[in-house]
Amino acid sequence: MSVAARKFLFGTALFLGAGTAVGWVYGQAMNGLLVAVLLTLIWQIRQLLSFERAVRTDNFDDFRHGEGIWEQIVARFRFERSRAIRRKGDYRRLLKEIRKSTDAMPDGAVILDANNEIVLCNRAAKTLAGLKRKKDRGQRIDNILRDPLISQLLGDSNFDQTVEFPSPVAEGRWLHGRVVPYGAEQKLLMLRDITERRQLNKMRRDFAANASHELRSPLTVISGYLDSLADDEEMPATWETPVRQMQAQSHRMQRIVTDLLELSRLESAGTATSAAIDMVRLLERIRSDYESPANEARIILNLQSAVELLGVESEIESVVVNLLSNAMRYTPREGEVTITWVSSPDGADLSVSDTGDGIDAELIPRLTERFFRVDRGRSRDDGGVGLGLAIVKHVLARHDALLRITSEPGAGSEFCCHFPPERVVVAPPLTLS
Amino acid sequence: MEASDLNDHISRRFNKDIEDLRNSVLAMGGLVESQLSKAIAAIVSGDSELGLRVARDDYKVNNLEVQIDEECSRVLATRAPAAGDLRLIVAIIKTITDLERIGDEAEKIGFLASKLAAMDRPADSYRELKTLGNHVLHMLRDAMNAFARLDVEEAFETVREDERVDDEYEAIQRQCITFMMEDPRSIKRVMNVTWTARSLERIGDHAKNICEYVIYMVQGKDVRHTDISETVDLVSD
Repeated sequence: MSVAARKFLFGTALFLGAGTAVGWVYGQAMNGLLVAVLLTLIWQIRQLLSFERAVRTDNFDDFRHGEGIWEQIVARFRFERSRAIRRKGDYRRLLKEIRKSTDAMPDGAVILDANNEIVLCNRAAKTLAGLKRKKDRGQRIDNILRDPLISQLLGDSNFDQTVEFPSPVAEGRWLHGRVVPYGAEQKLLMLRDITERRQLNKMRRDFAANASHELRSPLTVISGYLDSLADDEEMPATWETPVRQMQAQSHRMQRIVTDLLELSRLESAGTATSAAIDMVRLLERIRSDYESPANEARIILNLQSAVELLGVESEIESVVVNLLSNAMRYTPREGEVTITWVSSPDGADLSVSDTGDGIDAELIPRLTERFFRVDRGRSRDDGGVGLGLAIVKHVLARHDALLRITSEPGAGSEFCCHFPPERVVVAPPLTLS
Repeated sequence: MEASDLNDHISRRFNKDIEDLRNSVLAMGGLVESQLSKAIAAIVSGDSELGLRVARDDYKVNNLEVQIDEECSRVLATRAPAAGDLRLIVAIIKTITDLERIGDEAEKIGFLASKLAAMDRPADSYRELKTLGNHVLHMLRDAMNAFARLDVEEAFETVREDERVDDEYEAIQRQCITFMMEDPRSIKRVMNVTWTARSLERIGDHAKNICEYVIYMVQGKDVRHTDISETVDLVSD
């Protein structure tokens, strides 16, 4: 109990005692106590009422608190309140700072709750995607950003998907969207303007296509003359080796140019228009084309399924041929290369595995880069161009397929292409005639 | 009617039904928007593959229409909604019809794009179709935004836009006629351009209709077939 509270109790008791004593003097002790109680009550009620008025009007000047317990109450009350006000100001300033900093971010950020309803968004989200801060609070984000890709993005519970879609408000601008989990059950949708990146990419593609196109005609002339020179019987013997080498190199350059052109065609085209491909027939044909006598590894066909694949036949063929020729290149002559075609309810897998040297695990992610080589000196001698897997990657992307590479150094590698179920058709059963 | 009114039913299931319906209409709107923007891109970039893909994908829009329609009937039959909810359901039934038509027009445009891609391309690569197309796409977006936000102001703005679209359509038509008179050999190609412009103009009309349903849904006033100035009076009463 505080000093003031003790004083208050003591004072009140003293007052009541004094009242009783005065009453006792007149022989009316009970009445004296009653009067004292009444007086105390009236005074306290008055104090309470004026305290209420003072709190309500926020004016403590008229409040006569004296020195006792009421002074304590008022002082405490005023202190707590001014602290609350100061804190509120601090929080408000802090919030403002946070908002200012999120507004300064060039990327759009939208906080979503578990139902994908908008909780907060920053200014960039407004300029990039046309969200309205006040009006759209509580609105589902895919009701405002209605591109089907967005609801696909939000439906992905692994948060590893990203999408690119045109901005609904800023014409000609493209946005990149990704979702990151945030707090409990919440999500953060990040939007980034990638118009410049797309333009740069397009410029790069155009450049590659134009450059290879321009290189093709002079190369044709050069290799044409070299071919006829090589066949010329009157050519001095000293020139024979240089001409042969020039011929081989110019053929190699032609292959590079053709592959580059094919790559830029694959890049600029959208998803492939498709027809059903009879994979069994295709794989058997490729095998018979590639099977060569003795000095190369054996090719084994492992056809576990007769399903057909929806796709562009020439492109799928180039996938198989590229994977197969890679496998042959790295597999010793006594080894074997297996082509497998299997289907399951999750889709179909085309895989090419070998018993060759294998690839170091840290190099695997770089394999599909253009002109990337595991072993520079060696594969060039073998006639590799360095674009095969890049072509494979692009063709597969056009067919909604994924490339999975597993390898164990010394034991061999497997290149597996996984096609989604939408790309698989169950072929009609053969009718026996 | 306010957005918060939609979440104010005794039955939580009813709330969810209404909310789901609204969401699926907006999802359908999103699909139609992306179909239209792809169709326009196909015209502008002469990408016949993209155009054909748009035409092929129209079935998705049709399926959604049927699905939402059935869902509306179910809600009507089982919940017997009244007042604002009833207006919402009625507006949804009408909106999806217009969205489906827009989908059909986008299909047509996609098909025309694949035809135009096979013919000579003018130097400006159909700039006027691009302008008209983007204008109409914006109208459709604004209409769906107005639907999502129950925003009468935005709906009005969009209804007004339709006049400008009509003017642009008129201008394109006149230009096409001039081309055909100058060079009769171009008639085949220019006819396709006219058809495309016509489809775009129709999409503008459908977007306008959707905005009118939004106004009806929010305010309970029918503003169809009225002059724009009258419309403002009607609503500001």
